[in-house]
Amino acid sequence: MNILLVDDEKKFVVMLAKRLELRGFQVSFVNTGMDAVQLVKTGEKFDIAVLDVKMPGIGGIELRRELHRRDPDMKFIFLTGHGSDNDYSIGAGEATQYLPKPIKIDVFVETLLKVAGND
Amino acid sequence: VIADNGTQVAYAGPFNLKGKDYSSQPWFLECRQHKACVSETFSGYRDVPHIVVAVRSVRPDGRFFVLRMTLDTERLIQALSSYNTGEHTDIFLTNRQGLMQTPSRFYQGAAHQLTIPLPAYSDRTKALVSNDPDGQPIVIGYAFINTKIVPTSFVLMVVKQKQGMMKVWLDLRSKINWFLFTSSLIIVLVIFLTASFMVSKMFDADREKAKTMVAAEQNGQLASIGQLAAGVAHEINNPLALINETAGYIKDLFTIKKQYGDDPELIEHINSIIETVERCGIITRQLLGFSRHFDVQIQGIHLKNMVFDVLNFYKKEAEYRDIAIHTDIPDEIPLIKTDRGKLQQILLNLVNNAFHALDNGGLLDVRANLDDGGKRVCLAIRDDGCGISEASLSKVFEPFFTTKKEGKGTGLGLSITYGLVKKLYGEIAVQSQLGKGTTFTVTLPIQAERDFSG
Repeated sequence: MNILLVDDEKKFVVMLAKRLELRGFQVSFVNTGMDAVQLVKTGEKFDIAVLDVKMPGIGGIELRRELHRRDPDMKFIFLTGHGSDNDYSIGAGEATQYLPKPIKIDVFVETLLKVAGND
Repeated sequence: VIADNGTQVAYAGPFNLKGKDYSSQPWFLECRQHKACVSETFSGYRDVPHIVVAVRSVRPDGRFFVLRMTLDTERLIQALSSYNTGEHTDIFLTNRQGLMQTPSRFYQGAAHQLTIPLPAYSDRTKALVSNDPDGQPIVIGYAFINTKIVPTSFVLMVVKQKQGMMKVWLDLRSKINWFLFTSSLIIVLVIFLTASFMVSKMFDADREKAKTMVAAEQNGQLASIGQLAAGVAHEINNPLALINETAGYIKDLFTIKKQYGDDPELIEHINSIIETVERCGIITRQLLGFSRHFDVQIQGIHLKNMVFDVLNFYKKEAEYRDIAIHTDIPDEIPLIKTDRGKLQQILLNLVNNAFHALDNGGLLDVRANLDDGGKRVCLAIRDDGCGISEASLSKVFEPFFTTKKEGKGTGLGLSITYGLVKKLYGEIAVQSQLGKGTTFTVTLPIQAERDFSG
Protein backbone atom coordinates (compact mmCIF):
# COMPACT_ATOMS: atom_id res chain seq x y z
CA MET A 1 0.00 0.00 0.00
CA ASN A 2 1.43 3.38 -1.07
CA ILE A 3 0.95 6.16 1.47
CA LEU A 4 1.60 9.93 1.27
CA LEU A 5 2.23 11.80 4.56
CA VAL A 6 1.87 15.61 4.56
CA ASP A 7 2.72 17.50 7.78
CA ASP A 8 4.73 20.67 8.39
CA GLU A 9 6.34 19.12 11.53
CA LYS A 10 9.41 17.64 9.81
CA LYS A 11 10.67 15.22 12.45
CA PHE A 12 7.15 14.01 13.13
CA VAL A 13 6.59 12.81 9.54
CA VAL A 14 10.04 11.21 9.45
CA MET A 15 9.32 9.17 12.58
CA LEU A 16 5.81 8.30 11.46
CA ALA A 17 7.10 7.23 8.04
CA LYS A 18 9.78 5.00 9.61
CA ARG A 19 7.20 3.35 11.89
CA LEU A 20 4.87 2.68 8.99
CA GLU A 21 7.70 1.27 6.91
CA LEU A 22 8.55 -1.06 9.77
CA ARG A 23 4.96 -2.28 9.53
CA GLY A 24 5.25 -2.99 5.82
CA PHE A 25 3.77 0.15 4.27
CA GLN A 26 5.31 2.03 1.38
CA VAL A 27 5.54 5.65 2.53
CA SER A 28 6.39 9.01 0.93
CA PHE A 29 6.36 12.23 2.95
CA VAL A 30 6.49 15.97 2.29
CA ASN A 31 6.21 19.03 4.55
CA THR A 32 3.97 21.35 2.52
CA GLY A 33 0.88 21.14 0.39
CA MET A 34 2.76 22.51 -2.58
CA ASP A 35 5.30 19.68 -2.41
CA ALA A 36 2.46 17.15 -2.17
CA VAL A 37 0.81 18.58 -5.30
CA GLN A 38 4.18 18.56 -7.11
CA LEU A 39 4.70 14.93 -6.12
CA VAL A 40 1.31 13.86 -7.44
CA LYS A 41 1.92 15.88 -10.63
CA THR A 42 4.96 13.64 -11.37
CA GLY A 43 2.48 10.83 -11.79
CA GLU A 44 3.17 8.92 -8.61
CA LYS A 45 0.09 7.02 -7.39
CA PHE A 46 -0.91 6.92 -3.74
CA ASP A 47 -3.65 4.81 -2.19
CA ILE A 48 -4.04 7.02 0.88
CA ALA A 49 -2.96 10.61 1.68
CA VAL A 50 -2.58 11.47 5.39
CA LEU A 51 -2.94 15.25 5.74
CA ASP A 52 -2.38 17.62 8.66
CA VAL A 53 -5.36 20.00 8.80
CA LYS A 54 -3.43 23.08 9.86
CA MET A 55 -0.39 23.91 7.74
CA PRO A 56 1.14 27.13 6.45
CA GLY A 57 0.25 27.80 2.82
CA ILE A 58 -2.19 25.20 1.61
CA GLY A 59 -4.08 23.65 4.57
CA GLY A 60 -5.19 20.02 4.71
CA ILE A 61 -8.79 20.68 3.65
CA GLU A 62 -7.81 22.68 0.60
CA LEU A 63 -5.07 20.21 -0.28
CA ARG A 64 -7.58 17.35 -0.17
CA ARG A 65 -9.71 19.04 -2.84
CA GLU A 66 -6.65 19.68 -4.98
CA LEU A 67 -5.39 16.08 -4.71
CA HIS A 68 -8.85 14.63 -5.20
CA ARG A 69 -9.17 16.66 -8.42
CA ARG A 70 -5.93 15.15 -9.73
CA ASP A 71 -6.58 11.59 -8.49
CA PRO A 72 -10.23 10.77 -7.76
CA ASP A 73 -9.28 7.30 -6.44
CA MET A 74 -7.14 8.66 -3.62
CA LYS A 75 -8.43 8.17 -0.04
CA PHE A 76 -7.79 10.65 2.74
CA ILE A 77 -7.11 10.69 6.48
CA PHE A 78 -6.86 13.95 8.42
CA LEU A 79 -4.64 14.60 11.42
CA THR A 80 -5.31 17.48 13.73
CA GLY A 81 -4.17 18.99 17.01
CA HIS A 82 -7.81 19.60 17.92
CA GLY A 83 -8.27 16.51 20.06
CA SER A 84 -11.82 15.41 19.49
CA ASP A 85 -13.72 13.27 17.02
CA ASN A 86 -16.28 15.93 16.14
CA ASP A 87 -13.97 18.82 15.45
CA TYR A 88 -16.14 21.49 13.85
CA SER A 89 -13.32 22.69 11.65
CA ILE A 90 -13.83 19.56 9.54
CA GLY A 91 -16.66 19.97 7.10
CA ALA A 92 -19.20 17.17 7.06
CA GLY A 93 -18.53 14.77 4.17
CA GLU A 94 -15.15 16.35 3.49
CA ALA A 95 -12.99 13.98 5.53
CA THR A 96 -13.05 10.28 5.06
CA GLN A 97 -11.34 9.75 8.38
CA TYR A 98 -10.06 11.92 11.12
CA LEU A 99 -7.46 11.29 13.88
CA PRO A 100 -6.43 13.50 16.78
CA LYS A 101 -2.75 14.11 17.59
CA PRO A 102 -0.95 12.56 19.32
CA ILE A 103 -1.94 9.42 17.47
CA LYS A 104 -1.71 5.82 18.71
CA ILE A 105 0.18 3.75 16.13
CA ASP A 106 -2.16 0.74 16.42
CA VAL A 107 -5.23 2.93 15.87
CA PHE A 108 -3.50 4.65 12.95
CA VAL A 109 -2.61 1.36 11.19
CA GLU A 110 -6.14 0.08 11.80
CA THR A 111 -7.55 3.25 10.24
CA LEU A 112 -5.25 2.97 7.21
CA LEU A 113 -6.38 -0.60 6.57
CA LYS A 114 -10.03 0.35 7.04
CA VAL A 115 -9.84 3.31 4.64
CA ALA A 116 -7.99 1.24 2.02
CA GLY A 117 -10.46 -1.60 2.38
CA ASN A 118 -13.39 0.72 1.62
CA ASP A 119 -12.55 0.52 -2.06
CA VAL B 1 -126.49 75.50 69.38
CA ILE B 2 -127.08 77.60 72.41
CA ALA B 3 -129.95 80.02 72.87
CA ASP B 4 -129.45 83.63 74.04
CA ASN B 5 -130.30 82.59 77.62
CA GLY B 6 -127.32 80.20 77.64
CA THR B 7 -129.26 76.96 77.30
CA GLN B 8 -128.07 74.35 74.83
CA VAL B 9 -130.76 73.61 72.31
CA ALA B 10 -129.11 71.31 69.82
CA TYR B 11 -126.01 69.06 69.93
CA ALA B 12 -124.12 66.73 67.64
CA GLY B 13 -121.27 64.64 69.12
CA PRO B 14 -120.38 61.83 71.45
CA PHE B 15 -121.57 63.47 74.70
CA ASN B 16 -125.17 64.18 75.55
CA LEU B 17 -125.03 67.75 76.86
CA LYS B 18 -128.49 68.90 75.83
CA GLY B 19 -130.16 71.39 78.20
CA LYS B 20 -126.95 72.48 79.90
CA ASP B 21 -126.80 76.13 80.94
CA TYR B 22 -123.72 77.99 79.68
CA SER B 23 -124.94 81.50 80.55
CA SER B 24 -122.15 82.08 83.07
CA GLN B 25 -119.28 80.65 80.94
CA PRO B 26 -116.67 83.24 79.99
CA TRP B 27 -116.79 82.35 76.26
CA PHE B 28 -120.64 82.80 76.29
CA LEU B 29 -120.31 86.14 77.94
CA GLU B 30 -117.64 87.19 75.45
CA CYS B 31 -119.74 85.98 72.55
CA ARG B 32 -122.64 88.16 73.74
CA GLN B 33 -120.40 91.20 73.58
CA HIS B 34 -118.42 90.40 70.44
CA LYS B 35 -119.43 88.61 67.37
CA ALA B 36 -117.40 85.46 68.01
CA CYS B 37 -115.00 83.98 70.51
CA VAL B 38 -112.08 81.54 70.55
CA SER B 39 -111.44 80.42 74.12
CA GLU B 40 -108.22 79.39 75.76
CA THR B 41 -107.65 75.81 76.75
CA PHE B 42 -109.83 74.94 79.69
CA SER B 43 -111.50 71.93 81.27
CA GLY B 44 -115.24 72.32 81.01
CA TYR B 45 -117.94 70.15 82.58
CA ARG B 46 -116.25 66.95 81.37
CA ASP B 47 -112.87 67.83 82.91
CA VAL B 48 -111.13 67.28 79.52
CA PRO B 49 -108.85 70.10 78.21
CA HIS B 50 -110.41 71.63 75.12
CA ILE B 51 -110.84 74.82 73.14
CA VAL B 52 -114.13 76.39 72.34
CA VAL B 53 -114.90 78.23 69.13
CA ALA B 54 -118.20 80.07 69.26
CA VAL B 55 -119.98 82.33 66.75
CA ARG B 56 -123.00 84.52 67.57
CA SER B 57 -125.72 84.85 65.02
CA VAL B 58 -128.55 87.44 65.30
CA ARG B 59 -132.03 86.40 64.24
CA PRO B 60 -134.44 88.82 62.50
CA ASP B 61 -136.49 89.18 65.77
CA GLY B 62 -133.45 90.62 67.61
CA ARG B 63 -132.70 87.55 69.66
CA PHE B 64 -129.51 85.61 68.97
CA PHE B 65 -128.13 82.11 69.15
CA VAL B 66 -124.56 80.89 69.45
CA LEU B 67 -123.00 78.12 67.38
CA ARG B 68 -120.36 76.45 69.47
CA MET B 69 -117.72 73.92 68.52
CA THR B 70 -115.33 72.13 70.83
CA LEU B 71 -111.80 71.15 69.80
CA ASP B 72 -109.87 68.52 71.72
CA THR B 73 -106.51 70.00 72.78
CA GLU B 74 -104.85 66.62 72.35
CA ARG B 75 -105.27 66.97 68.58
CA LEU B 76 -103.54 70.31 68.66
CA ILE B 77 -100.62 68.89 70.63
CA GLN B 78 -100.30 66.05 68.15
CA ALA B 79 -100.37 68.46 65.22
CA LEU B 80 -97.57 70.54 66.78
CA SER B 81 -95.39 67.61 67.74
CA SER B 82 -95.71 66.24 64.25
CA TYR B 83 -93.39 69.03 63.05
CA ASN B 84 -89.95 67.57 62.88
CA THR B 85 -88.13 70.36 64.57
CA GLY B 86 -85.04 68.60 65.85
CA GLU B 87 -83.89 67.77 69.36
CA HIS B 88 -82.96 71.27 70.50
CA THR B 89 -86.14 72.89 69.31
CA ASP B 90 -89.38 73.47 71.17
CA ILE B 91 -92.71 74.25 69.57
CA PHE B 92 -95.79 75.13 71.64
CA LEU B 93 -98.77 77.41 72.08
CA THR B 94 -99.10 79.85 74.92
CA ASN B 95 -101.60 82.62 75.64
CA ARG B 96 -100.89 86.28 75.83
CA GLN B 97 -100.35 86.11 79.55
CA GLY B 98 -97.61 83.43 79.14
CA LEU B 99 -99.81 80.55 80.28
CA MET B 100 -98.97 77.29 78.47
CA GLN B 101 -101.71 76.11 76.12
CA THR B 102 -99.84 73.03 74.86
CA PRO B 103 -96.98 71.38 76.76
CA SER B 104 -93.39 72.54 76.19
CA ARG B 105 -90.28 70.37 76.50
CA PHE B 106 -88.02 72.97 78.05
CA TYR B 107 -89.83 76.15 79.00
CA GLN B 108 -92.79 75.05 81.09
CA GLY B 109 -92.58 76.34 84.69
CA ALA B 110 -94.79 76.02 87.74
CA ALA B 111 -98.56 76.42 87.19
CA HIS B 112 -98.11 76.08 83.43
CA GLN B 113 -96.34 79.44 83.32
CA LEU B 114 -93.89 80.11 80.49
CA THR B 115 -90.32 80.41 81.87
CA ILE B 116 -89.07 82.74 79.18
CA PRO B 117 -90.35 86.27 78.66
CA LEU B 118 -93.24 86.55 76.22
CA PRO B 119 -92.36 88.77 73.30
CA ALA B 120 -94.26 91.97 72.60
CA TYR B 121 -97.39 91.88 70.40
CA SER B 122 -96.93 91.86 66.68
CA ASP B 123 -99.50 91.29 63.97
CA ARG B 124 -96.94 89.49 61.89
CA THR B 125 -94.67 86.46 62.37
CA LYS B 126 -91.44 87.61 63.99
CA ALA B 127 -88.16 86.25 65.30
CA LEU B 128 -85.85 87.52 68.03
CA VAL B 129 -82.76 86.49 69.91
CA SER B 130 -83.00 86.11 73.68
CA ASN B 131 -81.69 84.14 76.66
CA ASP B 132 -83.37 81.23 78.39
CA PRO B 133 -83.54 81.04 82.23
CA ASP B 134 -80.13 79.25 82.31
CA GLY B 135 -78.57 82.11 80.35
CA GLN B 136 -78.17 80.05 77.14
CA PRO B 137 -78.79 82.04 73.96
CA ILE B 138 -82.00 81.09 72.16
CA VAL B 139 -83.81 82.15 69.03
CA ILE B 140 -87.56 82.63 69.31
CA GLY B 141 -89.91 82.64 66.37
CA TYR B 142 -93.48 83.60 67.29
CA ALA B 143 -96.82 84.57 65.87
CA PHE B 144 -99.87 86.04 67.60
CA ILE B 145 -102.73 84.07 66.11
CA ASN B 146 -105.71 86.07 64.93
CA THR B 147 -108.71 84.77 63.03
CA LYS B 148 -110.58 86.90 60.53
CA ILE B 149 -113.49 87.41 62.89
CA VAL B 150 -111.85 87.73 66.31
CA PRO B 151 -108.40 87.84 67.74
CA THR B 152 -107.42 84.79 69.82
CA SER B 153 -105.19 84.77 72.82
CA PHE B 154 -102.96 82.07 71.35
CA VAL B 155 -99.32 82.70 70.62
CA LEU B 156 -97.40 80.07 68.59
CA MET B 157 -93.81 79.97 69.68
CA VAL B 158 -90.88 78.08 68.17
CA VAL B 159 -87.84 78.26 70.41
CA LYS B 160 -84.51 77.01 69.18
CA GLN B 161 -81.37 76.83 71.27
CA LYS B 162 -78.61 78.63 69.47
CA GLN B 163 -76.21 75.92 70.59
CA GLY B 164 -78.51 73.35 68.99
CA MET B 165 -78.67 75.27 65.76
CA MET B 166 -74.90 75.33 65.70
CA LYS B 167 -74.77 71.67 66.65
CA VAL B 168 -76.34 70.60 63.36
CA TRP B 169 -73.77 72.69 61.53
CA LEU B 170 -70.94 71.52 63.78
CA ASP B 171 -72.01 67.91 63.30
CA LEU B 172 -71.96 68.40 59.53
CA ARG B 173 -68.62 70.16 59.72
CA SER B 174 -66.99 67.41 61.78
CA LYS B 175 -68.47 64.79 59.43
CA ILE B 176 -66.96 66.58 56.42
CA ASN B 177 -63.65 66.94 58.26
CA TRP B 178 -63.65 63.24 59.05
CA PHE B 179 -64.44 62.38 55.46
CA LEU B 180 -61.64 64.65 54.19
CA PHE B 181 -59.17 63.26 56.70
CA THR B 182 -60.05 59.63 55.96
CA SER B 183 -59.99 60.08 52.20
CA SER B 184 -56.70 61.97 52.24
CA LEU B 185 -55.29 59.22 54.45
CA ILE B 186 -56.42 56.62 51.91
CA ILE B 187 -55.00 58.68 49.02
CA VAL B 188 -51.66 59.06 50.80
CA LEU B 189 -51.64 55.35 51.55
CA VAL B 190 -52.43 54.42 47.94
CA ILE B 191 -49.77 56.83 46.65
CA PHE B 192 -47.24 55.44 49.10
CA LEU B 193 -48.01 51.82 48.23
CA THR B 194 -47.99 52.49 44.47
CA ALA B 195 -44.76 54.45 44.72
CA SER B 196 -43.00 51.82 46.80
CA PHE B 197 -44.26 49.11 44.44
CA MET B 198 -42.92 51.02 41.44
CA VAL B 199 -39.63 51.76 43.16
CA SER B 200 -39.14 48.11 44.06
CA LYS B 201 -40.04 47.12 40.48
CA MET B 202 -37.44 49.56 39.13
CA PHE B 203 -34.93 48.33 41.67
CA ASP B 204 -35.54 44.72 40.63
CA ALA B 205 -35.25 45.61 36.94
CA ASP B 206 -31.95 47.42 37.55
CA ARG B 207 -30.59 44.50 39.53
CA GLU B 208 -31.72 42.08 36.82
CA LYS B 209 -29.97 44.20 34.21
CA ALA B 210 -26.77 44.37 36.25
CA LYS B 211 -26.88 40.59 36.70
CA THR B 212 -27.33 40.02 32.97
CA MET B 213 -24.45 42.36 32.17
CA VAL B 214 -22.17 40.64 34.68
CA ALA B 215 -23.17 37.24 33.29
CA ALA B 216 -22.55 38.42 29.72
CA GLU B 217 -19.14 39.81 30.68
CA GLN B 218 -18.24 36.64 32.53
CA ASN B 219 -19.37 34.55 29.60
CA GLY B 220 -17.20 36.71 27.36
CA GLN B 221 -14.19 36.33 29.61
CA LEU B 222 -14.70 32.57 29.88
CA ALA B 223 -15.02 32.40 26.11
CA SER B 224 -11.65 34.09 25.70
CA ILE B 225 -10.11 31.76 28.29
CA GLY B 226 -11.62 28.88 26.32
CA GLN B 227 -10.10 30.18 23.11
CA LEU B 228 -6.77 30.54 24.86
CA ALA B 229 -7.00 26.98 26.22
CA ALA B 230 -7.85 25.61 22.79
CA GLY B 231 -4.89 27.44 21.27
CA VAL B 232 -2.54 26.15 23.95
CA ALA B 233 -3.80 22.58 23.57
CA HIS B 234 -3.43 22.71 19.82
CA GLU B 235 0.13 24.01 20.03
CA ILE B 236 1.12 21.40 22.63
CA ASN B 237 -0.38 18.52 20.68
CA ASN B 238 2.08 18.95 17.80
CA PRO B 239 5.30 18.58 19.83
CA LEU B 240 3.60 15.81 21.80
CA ALA B 241 2.93 13.99 18.56
CA LEU B 242 6.62 14.28 17.68
CA ILE B 243 7.73 12.89 21.07
CA ASN B 244 5.16 10.15 20.67
CA GLU B 245 6.35 9.06 17.25
CA THR B 246 10.05 9.26 18.17
CA ALA B 247 9.60 7.18 21.30
CA GLY B 248 7.28 4.89 19.36
CA TYR B 249 9.90 4.42 16.68
CA ILE B 250 12.52 3.47 19.26
CA LYS B 251 10.05 1.03 20.75
CA ASP B 252 9.34 -0.34 17.30
CA LEU B 253 13.05 -0.92 16.81
CA PHE B 254 13.10 -3.03 19.94
CA THR B 255 9.94 -4.97 19.34
CA ILE B 256 10.06 -5.39 15.57
CA LYS B 257 13.77 -5.50 14.68
CA LYS B 258 14.75 -7.64 17.68
CA GLN B 259 18.42 -6.59 17.66
CA TYR B 260 17.96 -4.38 20.79
CA GLY B 261 15.52 -6.72 22.45
CA ASP B 262 17.96 -7.96 25.08
CA ASP B 263 17.80 -4.76 27.18
CA PRO B 264 14.58 -4.83 29.25
CA GLU B 265 15.48 -1.65 31.19
CA LEU B 266 15.53 0.52 28.03
CA ILE B 267 12.12 -0.78 27.01
CA GLU B 268 10.81 0.19 30.43
CA HIS B 269 12.05 3.79 30.06
CA ILE B 270 10.62 4.10 26.60
CA ASN B 271 7.28 2.82 27.84
CA SER B 272 7.30 5.47 30.56
CA ILE B 273 7.88 8.18 27.89
CA ILE B 274 4.94 6.89 25.88
CA GLU B 275 2.71 6.71 28.96
CA THR B 276 3.63 10.28 29.92
CA VAL B 277 2.79 11.50 26.43
CA GLU B 278 -0.54 9.78 26.73
CA ARG B 279 -1.18 11.59 30.01
CA CYS B 280 -0.33 14.94 28.41
CA GLY B 281 -2.68 14.05 25.57
CA ILE B 282 -5.52 13.53 28.06
CA ILE B 283 -4.83 16.96 29.60
CA THR B 284 -4.86 18.76 26.26
CA ARG B 285 -8.05 16.94 25.31
CA GLN B 286 -9.66 18.18 28.51
CA LEU B 287 -8.54 21.73 27.73
CA LEU B 288 -10.12 21.44 24.30
CA GLY B 289 -13.26 19.98 25.85
CA PHE B 290 -13.46 23.02 28.11
CA SER B 291 -13.21 25.41 25.21
CA ARG B 292 -15.92 23.45 23.43
CA HIS B 293 -18.46 24.61 26.05
CA PHE B 294 -18.34 27.92 24.28
CA ASP B 295 -18.89 26.41 20.92
CA VAL B 296 -21.49 27.64 18.55
CA GLN B 297 -25.02 26.35 18.94
CA ILE B 298 -26.96 27.16 15.84
CA GLN B 299 -30.62 28.17 15.97
CA GLY B 300 -32.98 30.38 13.98
CA ILE B 301 -32.99 33.97 15.25
CA HIS B 302 -35.33 36.82 14.48
CA LEU B 303 -32.92 39.75 14.28
CA LYS B 304 -35.53 42.46 14.84
CA ASN B 305 -36.75 40.87 18.08
CA MET B 306 -33.23 40.38 19.33
CA VAL B 307 -32.25 44.00 18.64
CA PHE B 308 -35.36 45.16 20.50
CA ASP B 309 -34.57 42.82 23.40
CA VAL B 310 -31.08 44.22 23.70
CA LEU B 311 -32.15 47.85 23.33
CA ASN B 312 -34.74 47.24 26.04
CA PHE B 313 -31.86 46.92 28.49
CA TYR B 314 -30.85 50.48 27.66
CA LYS B 315 -34.31 52.02 27.44
CA LYS B 316 -34.22 53.53 30.89
CA GLU B 317 -30.71 54.88 30.56
CA ALA B 318 -31.71 56.41 27.22
CA GLU B 319 -34.66 58.11 28.94
CA TYR B 320 -32.48 59.47 31.74
CA ARG B 321 -29.91 60.76 29.32
CA ASP B 322 -32.36 61.90 26.65
CA ILE B 323 -30.75 59.67 24.03
CA ALA B 324 -32.88 59.01 20.96
CA ILE B 325 -32.80 55.43 19.64
CA HIS B 326 -33.70 54.89 15.99
CA THR B 327 -34.05 51.39 14.61
CA ASP B 328 -34.63 50.34 11.02
CA ILE B 329 -34.68 46.59 10.62
CA PRO B 330 -36.69 45.57 7.56
CA ASP B 331 -39.18 42.74 7.96
CA GLU B 332 -37.85 40.94 4.89
CA ILE B 333 -34.73 39.88 6.78
CA PRO B 334 -35.19 36.13 7.26
CA LEU B 335 -34.43 34.08 10.35
CA ILE B 336 -30.67 34.06 10.86
CA LYS B 337 -29.22 30.63 11.59
CA THR B 338 -26.64 31.45 14.22
CA ASP B 339 -25.79 31.27 17.94
CA ARG B 340 -28.30 33.23 20.00
CA GLY B 341 -26.10 33.86 23.06
CA LYS B 342 -23.14 35.02 21.00
CA LEU B 343 -25.14 37.32 18.76
CA GLN B 344 -26.85 38.78 21.82
CA GLN B 345 -23.50 39.44 23.43
CA ILE B 346 -22.13 41.07 20.27
CA LEU B 347 -25.13 43.42 20.24
CA LEU B 348 -24.89 44.12 23.98
CA ASN B 349 -21.20 44.97 23.71
CA LEU B 350 -21.64 47.28 20.73
CA VAL B 351 -24.70 49.07 22.14
CA ASN B 352 -22.92 49.38 25.49
CA ASN B 353 -19.90 50.94 23.76
CA ALA B 354 -22.15 53.33 21.86
CA PHE B 355 -23.80 54.44 25.11
CA HIS B 356 -20.39 55.12 26.63
CA ALA B 357 -19.43 57.23 23.62
CA LEU B 358 -22.73 59.14 23.46
CA ASP B 359 -23.29 62.52 25.11
CA ASN B 360 -26.62 63.24 26.73
CA GLY B 361 -29.18 64.11 24.07
CA GLY B 362 -27.33 62.08 21.44
CA LEU B 363 -28.62 59.64 18.83
CA LEU B 364 -28.16 55.88 18.51
CA ASP B 365 -29.08 54.41 15.14
CA VAL B 366 -29.40 50.66 14.58
CA ARG B 367 -30.19 49.52 11.05
CA ALA B 368 -29.91 46.29 9.12
CA ASN B 369 -30.01 45.32 5.46
CA LEU B 370 -29.45 42.22 3.37
CA ASP B 371 -26.15 41.90 1.58
CA ASP B 372 -24.39 39.54 -0.81
CA GLY B 373 -27.58 38.65 -2.67
CA GLY B 374 -29.50 37.82 0.52
CA LYS B 375 -26.83 35.46 1.88
CA ARG B 376 -25.59 37.84 4.52
CA VAL B 377 -27.10 40.43 6.80
CA CYS B 378 -25.41 43.74 7.56
CA LEU B 379 -26.11 45.31 10.95
CA ALA B 380 -24.88 48.86 11.51
CA ILE B 381 -24.78 50.44 14.97
CA ARG B 382 -24.10 54.16 14.67
CA ASP B 383 -23.69 56.75 17.41
CA ASP B 384 -23.08 60.50 17.06
CA GLY B 385 -20.82 60.50 20.11
CA CYS B 386 -17.20 61.44 20.70
CA GLY B 387 -15.73 59.25 17.95
CA ILE B 388 -12.35 57.47 17.88
CA SER B 389 -9.08 59.04 16.79
CA GLU B 390 -7.36 57.63 13.72
CA ALA B 391 -4.44 56.38 15.81
CA SER B 392 -6.76 54.41 18.09
CA LEU B 393 -9.06 53.16 15.35
CA SER B 394 -6.66 50.47 14.14
CA LYS B 395 -6.28 49.11 17.66
CA VAL B 396 -9.88 48.96 18.85
CA PHE B 397 -10.18 45.20 18.38
CA GLU B 398 -6.87 44.45 20.10
CA PRO B 399 -7.09 42.87 23.54
CA PHE B 400 -6.42 45.18 26.51
CA PHE B 401 -6.71 48.30 24.38
CA THR B 402 -8.99 50.86 26.00
CA THR B 403 -9.52 54.62 25.96
CA LYS B 404 -11.65 54.49 29.07
CA LYS B 405 -10.29 55.65 32.41
CA GLU B 406 -8.18 53.23 34.41
CA GLY B 407 -10.36 50.64 36.08
CA LYS B 408 -13.35 51.55 33.92
CA GLY B 409 -12.80 49.29 30.96
CA THR B 410 -11.01 45.96 30.68
CA GLY B 411 -10.08 46.59 27.08
CA LEU B 412 -11.54 43.18 26.32
CA GLY B 413 -15.07 44.20 25.22
CA LEU B 414 -14.34 44.79 21.54
CA SER B 415 -11.75 42.04 21.25
CA ILE B 416 -14.25 39.57 22.67
CA THR B 417 -16.85 40.97 20.29
CA TYR B 418 -14.41 40.51 17.43
CA GLY B 419 -13.76 36.90 18.48
CA LEU B 420 -17.50 36.22 18.76
CA VAL B 421 -18.22 37.65 15.31
CA LYS B 422 -15.45 35.45 13.89
CA LYS B 423 -16.94 32.42 15.64
CA LEU B 424 -20.20 33.13 13.84
CA TYR B 425 -18.26 33.32 10.53
CA GLY B 426 -18.96 37.02 10.30
CA GLU B 427 -17.01 40.22 9.81
CA ILE B 428 -16.86 43.35 11.93
CA ALA B 429 -15.70 46.74 10.73
CA VAL B 430 -15.51 50.19 12.27
CA GLN B 431 -15.70 53.68 10.81
CA SER B 432 -15.22 56.72 12.99
CA GLN B 433 -14.61 60.42 12.88
CA LEU B 434 -13.40 62.27 15.96
CA GLY B 435 -16.25 64.39 17.36
CA LYS B 436 -18.77 63.12 14.81
CA GLY B 437 -19.44 59.57 15.86
CA THR B 438 -18.70 55.93 15.24
CA THR B 439 -20.32 53.18 13.22
CA PHE B 440 -19.70 49.48 13.88
CA THR B 441 -20.83 47.23 11.07
CA VAL B 442 -21.33 43.52 11.72
CA THR B 443 -21.86 41.29 8.70
CA LEU B 444 -23.16 37.80 9.43
CA PRO B 445 -24.07 34.93 7.14
CA ILE B 446 -27.79 34.10 7.19
CA GLN B 447 -26.70 30.46 7.44
CA ALA B 448 -23.66 30.28 9.74
CA GLU B 449 -21.38 28.10 7.59
CA ARG B 450 -18.51 26.12 8.93
CA ASP B 451 -15.17 27.18 7.62
CA PHE B 452 -12.16 24.95 7.22
CA SER B 453 -9.37 27.06 8.60
CA GLY B 454 -8.39 24.21 10.98
